[in-house]
Amino acid sequence: MKLIPSAALFSAFVMVSGLAQADTVLSVLIDNNPETIASMNALTKAYTAAHPDVTFDIEQRPGGADGDNLIKTRLATGEMADVFDYNSGSLFQALKPTDTLADLSGLASQAGILDSFKTVVTGTDGVVRGVPFGAAMGGGIYYNKKIYADLGLKVPTTWAEFMANNEKIKAAGKVPVAQTYGDTWSSQLFVLSDFYNVAQVVPGFAADYTGNKAKYATTPAAMAGFQHLEDVFKAGYLNPDFGAAKFDDGMKMVATGEAAHYPMLTFGIGSVKQNEPDNLNDVGFFAQPGDDAAHNGLTVWMPAALYVPAKSANLDAAKAFVDFAGSVDGCNLMIGANGATGPYLIKGCELPKDVPASVADMLPYFQKDGGTVPALEFLSPIKGPNLEQITVAVGSGITSAADGAKQYDQDVEKQAKQLGLPNW
Amino acid sequence: MTRRQYWTGIIATVVALVIFVVPFVFIAFTAVKDKAQASHLDFTWPLQFLFWQNLVDVVTTRNYMLLLAYFNSSIITVGAVAMLILFGAMVGYVLQRRQSRWNQVIFGCVLAGLIIPPAVVPTIWVMQGLGLFKTIWGMVLIQVAYGLAFSVLLYRSFIATIPRDLDEAARIDGAKPLQIFLRVILPLLKPVTVTLIVVQSIAIFNDFTNPLYYLPGKENVTVQLTLFNFQSQFSTQFNLLFMNILLVTIPPLIVFIFFNRQIVAGMTAGAVKG
Repeated sequence: MKLIPSAALFSAFVMVSGLAQADTVLSVLIDNNPETIASMNALTKAYTAAHPDVTFDIEQRPGGADGDNLIKTRLATGEMADVFDYNSGSLFQALKPTDTLADLSGLASQAGILDSFKTVVTGTDGVVRGVPFGAAMGGGIYYNKKIYADLGLKVPTTWAEFMANNEKIKAAGKVPVAQTYGDTWSSQLFVLSDFYNVAQVVPGFAADYTGNKAKYATTPAAMAGFQHLEDVFKAGYLNPDFGAAKFDDGMKMVATGEAAHYPMLTFGIGSVKQNEPDNLNDVGFFAQPGDDAAHNGLTVWMPAALYVPAKSANLDAAKAFVDFAGSVDGCNLMIGANGATGPYLIKGCELPKDVPASVADMLPYFQKDGGTVPALEFLSPIKGPNLEQITVAVGSGITSAADGAKQYDQDVEKQAKQLGLPNW
Repeated sequence: MTRRQYWTGIIATVVALVIFVVPFVFIAFTAVKDKAQASHLDFTWPLQFLFWQNLVDVVTTRNYMLLLAYFNSSIITVGAVAMLILFGAMVGYVLQRRQSRWNQVIFGCVLAGLIIPPAVVPTIWVMQGLGLFKTIWGMVLIQVAYGLAFSVLLYRSFIATIPRDLDEAARIDGAKPLQIFLRVILPLLKPVTVTLIVVQSIAIFNDFTNPLYYLPGKENVTVQLTLFNFQSQFSTQFNLLFMNILLVTIPPLIVFIFFNRQIVAGMTAGAVKG
């Protein structure tokens, strides 16, 4: 019963903040991913067991654009739940955190949270406003281990090796690369996951990009992501139904060996776990290779965060709960609820030994010094809203890579102007 | 029946079957499959018939949320449709029968209601001010506000087809204005009323975005929102999702079958005269 010491700590915390009144009901708004629900259920159950006077009212919301609108509407009208989860990084900045969200920098658990995460939940005034909720994700390429073993292939560390593997896979009569433009968001991966390689060649790209000094179209390293999309299409490496297939289809193809590769974020393994549990360990993972084998690393997506609205009626109780969620105990509860899908960004929170093969493939990048770089959307507030449409067009041969990069630079300009960034 | 008519009849039946029945069969098949087979989303015979198990799973999910959702959606639909019919008919009647300078202004407002899209956040401010936000009755009023313009238009043009002589005859017999409306006119509006019941109740029952924004809260869930128990951005349990769709489709289907015969008459009845 690991909970007991922390329970004592938290009841002390609660007493000090003068919250010992009976029966607080905290409202919680979470998105409806099964992992999120399982994590939140585990956290709230343990918390109520330790604090019988605090109970929870959990409400679910859809993800995607409807979810974004819902969160913004409820923050604007002061109807937000006491605790809610939402993306970190540029989407967090779009919530106007300095006006709407409570200051969480005073929480005891902040000491254990990795600095790399804190930067993506810090408002423009330098105040930390969130705690991590869930595991970090990597963007890269899933591969089918059976195909690799049968054809005697090696995990590629450069793009040229990757394309050479594809050639052999095609010759063996399998689909080399699965793409699923039926879910347009999944088309962005080749561009977004390439950011580690961009950052190796042009270390200052994120800052220059925010300051309107660097562009995708004029930076050859950044252009490479768009070029990759064009290359795999032109070489005929895609599955025949790439225009209509969905994300679940992509994961199924790479899990069952219908396709050899599928570029995706590491959360995708959850889909295999649900739909093709027998193939779970046939799926491996590697970071998107660049031009230089010496610099091979992973582009990382930060987990979502839990926030407390500034206008919450139960501000102190909500903060105490969020503090618990950000502690090592909270982290262990979340791992217990979902298994390990990636590293948690809390010091002292270890993953269990029996993780799926693709998660095990991902961990060495995190253990290596400089093995990971956060995705561009966590380093720069600008991410053009139409990237997924542009990447679909490039990836299906409608637009050339050069034109696609140019279009994206124009798309980004609109957003930068809306955000009122200097020098745009 | 000639041979030619016989064959066109057969072809028409087959086409109708493919367009209307196949999607429904697809929903039904997917709803009884197991999780792995349903995730393929293809039109195949179910390997396992898990009808009862999926049904129980869907109904019991999140503490019998679906039953609460049925209850809420029914109240919203019945309340809103009743008000839409009563007020739509009244406004349409007065607008059509009593010509005045205000008619153009009022008709302009009705058209504006049809054309101008509603803004969510200011509407919520108004509802918060009135204490109606997060209440079922607030949601009923929202649906009435959004649907009233359409009802008024439909009633107004239909009432134009009812001869004024009927009103006058009733008045000579000593009926008061309210009696004329309730006893003489309203019963004659049956065809268009049936159309409105079907169109509006299906629209309101199936509404997703308005309850999402105007009716937050776990206890305020409506049927369309329950679909999100099984469907999220990154993973979807298709067998349970389709079972839920099947269950949610049944009430509108009943309404449709029940009023089916009168709909066509009502649709054309109000459409001709201005």
